[in-house]
Amino acid sequence: MKTPREILLAQHRAAGPKLDAIRHDVVSTLNNQETKSPVSESIFVSSFLDCSKKMWDELVLPSRRIWSGLAAVWLLIIVVNVSQRDHSPVGKVASAPVLISAREQQRLMNELFADRTLPVEAEPPKTFSPKPHTQTFQTFAT
Amino acid sequence: MKMPEVADIEQLPVPQARAGEPAAWDTLFRRYQLPLYVYVFELIHHEQASLDLVQETFIAAVKHLGSLRDDGKFGSWLFGIAHQKCIQHWRKRTDVLFDEVPEPPDEFEDSPDNLLIRAESEAGFMKLVEQLPLPQRAVLLLHFVEDFSLEEIARITETNTGTVKSRLHYAKKSLRKLLEAKNENPA
Repeated sequence: MKTPREILLAQHRAAGPKLDAIRHDVVSTLNNQETKSPVSESIFVSSFLDCSKKMWDELVLPSRRIWSGLAAVWLLIIVVNVSQRDHSPVGKVASAPVLISAREQQRLMNELFADRTLPVEAEPPKTFSPKPHTQTFQTFAT
Repeated sequence: MKMPEVADIEQLPVPQARAGEPAAWDTLFRRYQLPLYVYVFELIHHEQASLDLVQETFIAAVKHLGSLRDDGKFGSWLFGIAHQKCIQHWRKRTDVLFDEVPEPPDEFEDSPDNLLIRAESEAGFMKLVEQLPLPQRAVLLLHFVEDFSLEEIARITETNTGTVKSRLHYAKKSLRKLLEAKNENPA
């Protein structure tokens, strides 16, 4: 008669050498780490990778169907949006008659507002040259 | 009969492992490698994946030993990491519903723990364990392999003690029923 524990362990005892190898690997890594001082940059990178992996495992993987559904909906929206965009050249380049009429309108506007829009020429400033007081009096007399 | 892998919890060199002594880690891993493998293998039934998960568990234990508050709970803490690794493994592959919880009965039967199995029923016992639903199997394995308390099993499987009690009850009940049926009809 055996206990369930004894049966379970006996069933898997054959995996012992493989488990020993795994243990050796992990412990030898520890030995190597002891000799090498840990670089802060590598710690930062590994913790960042750990965090990303954890986020991926905890956030994305459990509800991967929902995420892929959302992605599909967004793709559909983008495709519909792009396909409904106006690609005709009418809106961008005006036709020749329209251009002619526009130029005519511009010409008429220039004619109408030409006088108002032109700047008024200012009179040249009068020069004043000072004269002796006697001469000034003479000028008044004449 | 005491198994050779088992060391007393008091003798486990957890403080030395905390200090980063490789020899201490070697002792700890030697102590738990086979029970951990049994637990993981009986849950996922894939040899290479089980070995990989045990290795990942060891690496995670080295990395996160600082989060262990009580050195005496090293075993359940290590099994907790392995349990999480199994759940991640299932999530990657299939949609296994681990959290399906049966309704707890009003009264628990006082089922004796000293379940002994005859030599001719050993293979049958293993098959019967495989037949159990996943949550019950996990609880039963933790109970059988390491004799963890209900509280420890609850911590490992991240459920409450009542749920563990219920699962263990149902697992033992169905196992006993299956064993009895097998004994009555050995063919």
